[in-house]
Amino acid sequence: MDNQKTKFSVVVTGAPYGSQSASSAYQFCAAATLAGHEIAGVFFYQEGVLNASQLVSPATDEINLPDLWATLAKQYQFPLEVCVSAALRRGVVDQQEAKQLSLAQFNLKSPFVLSGLGQLAELSANCDRLVQF
Amino acid sequence: MTEKKMGIINRCLPHGSAHGRESLDLTLAMSAFNESISLFFIGDGVYQLLAGHSPADILQKHYQPLFKMLELYDIENIYVCSASLRQRRLTTEMLIIEVTPLAREQLQVKLAEQQQLLSF
Repeated sequence: MDNQKTKFSVVVTGAPYGSQSASSAYQFCAAATLAGHEIAGVFFYQEGVLNASQLVSPATDEINLPDLWATLAKQYQFPLEVCVSAALRRGVVDQQEAKQLSLAQFNLKSPFVLSGLGQLAELSANCDRLVQF
Repeated sequence: MTEKKMGIINRCLPHGSAHGRESLDLTLAMSAFNESISLFFIGDGVYQLLAGHSPADILQKHYQPLFKMLELYDIENIYVCSASLRQRRLTTEMLIIEVTPLAREQLQVKLAEQQQLLSF
């Protein structure tokens, strides 16, 4: 059982700063991948969508969670899916949406992508364990 | 890819936070992909189903009518904690949709049957 590999999907519902939800989720993903488990993907919902903002700019001696997510996701090749309806309500917008909505700016950080709740259904079906933070 | 038995737990008041609304959004969207969804209303979550909200007064969206969509979307397993109702002097007749009230032990059994749980 010790070497059994588990495939996790992770749901993040907390902002990158102000609550521990997202940092716990990140630490979980980092520990799971380090231990040889697989992350099928991370779905950002509710305040969690703010993790995808490239405008998050903490002081230099503090943790930048969006940066950490981006690095971990690239290293272990898992998707960072952001619920589009929750994101638009909270001012997280990608280039395409910004154009469509005639907004002057977009702020979605790479490699985060805007997607629908259908993507959560896929992550739910395509994992051994679904973990919510 | 296998569809999982998914339980969605609602524990928050309907307004004051977006938990209730975003939980319902998620439930309705997920139902297009998953036919094994059960809904649970526990604690203050039972107030989400209580008739007579007028949240526009506090600049909140009146999402309660969307609960009627659950039936159209074939979500029939809707469980309410009967102790939570009793503690708040509520009855199932005061709720806007038909629900199955469950005692604590039955609720535990139903929750244990789920393969995945999301809580709002």
